[in-house]
Amino acid sequence: MNDTALVETRHLGKSYPLVFRSRDRLRALGQLLAGRRQVNSVPVLEDVSLQVRRGESLGLIGENGAGKSTLLKLLTGVLTPTTGSVRVSGRVAALLELGAGFHPEYSGRENIALSAALHGLSATQIREKADAIIGFADIGRYIDEPVKHYSSGMVVRLGFAIVTALEPELLITDEVLAVGDESFQKKCVRWIEDYLGGGGTLILVSHSMYHVQKLCQKACWLRSGRVERHGDVFEVTQAYLAYLERKSNKAETARGIAEARSMLEFHLLDLTLNGESSDTLVVAQGSTLRVRTRVHSRDGRVPIVVFGVVRGDGTPVYGVSTEMDGRAPLRESETVYVAELTFPELPLLPGAYVIKAHPLDPEGVRLFDTIECNLLIRGESRELGLVRLPHVWSQSVPLAAARRAADTGHG
Amino acid sequence: MSALSLTAHFVRREVRNRYLGSISGGAWALLQPLIQLGVYGFVFVYVFHSPVPGANAPGFVPFLVMGLWPWNAFAEAVTRSTTAIQDNAALIGKVALPRELLVLSTVVASFLIQILGFCAICVALRLFGIPIHLVALPVALLGYAQLFVFALGCGLMLAALQVFVRDLAPALPQMLMLWMFASPVFYERSALPERYQGWLDWNPFTYYPEFFRSILLQSGAQTMVAHVVSFLVAMLVLAMGLAVFRRLEPFFEDFL
Repeated sequence: MNDTALVETRHLGKSYPLVFRSRDRLRALGQLLAGRRQVNSVPVLEDVSLQVRRGESLGLIGENGAGKSTLLKLLTGVLTPTTGSVRVSGRVAALLELGAGFHPEYSGRENIALSAALHGLSATQIREKADAIIGFADIGRYIDEPVKHYSSGMVVRLGFAIVTALEPELLITDEVLAVGDESFQKKCVRWIEDYLGGGGTLILVSHSMYHVQKLCQKACWLRSGRVERHGDVFEVTQAYLAYLERKSNKAETARGIAEARSMLEFHLLDLTLNGESSDTLVVAQGSTLRVRTRVHSRDGRVPIVVFGVVRGDGTPVYGVSTEMDGRAPLRESETVYVAELTFPELPLLPGAYVIKAHPLDPEGVRLFDTIECNLLIRGESRELGLVRLPHVWSQSVPLAAARRAADTGHG
Repeated sequence: MSALSLTAHFVRREVRNRYLGSISGGAWALLQPLIQLGVYGFVFVYVFHSPVPGANAPGFVPFLVMGLWPWNAFAEAVTRSTTAIQDNAALIGKVALPRELLVLSTVVASFLIQILGFCAICVALRLFGIPIHLVALPVALLGYAQLFVFALGCGLMLAALQVFVRDLAPALPQMLMLWMFASPVFYERSALPERYQGWLDWNPFTYYPEFFRSILLQSGAQTMVAHVVSFLVAMLVLAMGLAVFRRLEPFFEDFL
């Protein structure tokens, strides 16, 4: 299947030379001319091995300075790797930073022609596509003004519009969605979704977990130039958010996380067990358990709420969603929904369990958030397993009667 | 194919850049060397009383034209291409493109403008009755082609070195000035004391003014050896320029 990998990096690394004084530059020049590839340098990216197959979408996340943009530049060939290798096949369109390659003195129209030529289109192809590009950018008369008079939003509009016309096999974008206004963002996201639907491949750098989760199947978290985690988008983004939470100080974090989570389409506000919101709840075996959660819905859409029970070691015990039972959460306010589930006479056997809650989008496709609470069941039961299944003994007699009968029989 | 259209784009951009915002636009391309010609002609003929070159030459001005225009083409191409990479740092940092094209288009633009000016002034001089062999103009273009190769080689090398050592660009005009006076642009080989005349052969630019004078003014003759050697030198310089450029190119982004 290697032939369908559009992008493949092996142990990719990049170091920037340390040059403080002009003497260093001269020495570096001498070393490079002599054919040495390694000069005194500081690594910014180390040992990155990635593979993106045709039709896949990968989100690159991480803090500022983690090496995301450097990785993109290596993928697009703007930078040359210091170690390892990059292989990119197919028609690539890249939108690195604002106004990639625009000349500030030229009008938007002229920059379209230049950009398209940079991407390898011929003069006739450029003429054919110019109208579509101008239409998508939708910046009115500014198209004939020099680009230096553009707002940053307009520059992004134009840049993205050019990309749409290039019909790339691989699209690489660096935090560009963040600049456009709401309506243009939506337009871009819709375009990218169509593009992905049509088999396109995407590599996206974004600090918006919402965009990453919406557009990408996979995510790669870069931390200090190394791959910290790579895999399913929800797993990685949640690990990243959790890391952010641990990292910064309490008060600040709470806000940062709340902000990061509030970017999600749905996130959980709280989870209470029997009305208590502590980390751990201790209940007696067979008592009633009320699980209640509140969901914030960014766009006011009705979420699906899932509750699950797993044993302390992670073994799933039971899970059910509102939608499975033909229910929907109750609307508490415009953007807050609440759902409560009651287990009368909880049949869990004594032990440590975790109660989980997740919101899903109304289509039931995407899982957005997780809150967990520990549940300890106290009891003297000697039954085996996880739950007490409803049961009735037949073809049997009470044990005491049998013992008594045995005693009298012998006596 | 796309490299070609890209080069065309850059050349157009380069030409436009030079005259963007200037009122006279392209007229400067012609006006500037004309003024230069007037000043030099005046200074050398009336102030310094330069000896009129070779008995069969048609006067100082056409003599100067044959040296000044090729020199301008060469010097301008080299000066501008030295900063071609540095000036386009923003582009290089964002778009992957064959970087040689940036140097190539700079040199092409300089030569286009200067060759047009050269042809125009040759025709003008002919109209003034000066015996210039316009029939040989296509051959003169061959001379420009070879000079182009020479300039491109120098430009590639300097552009790559300039990324690392920024002192080059400011030092270059002085070096070029020295080089110009060390070349037979304002004087003829025979104007030098006899024992220094041979030294001119070590200057790779010497060939060009002498070439244009011999074919367009029919003053002076060049040996076959001179043709062959200068052709080989131009090719060698281009090969060296490309080698240096290719060797350093992967590291441009790191040092820009």
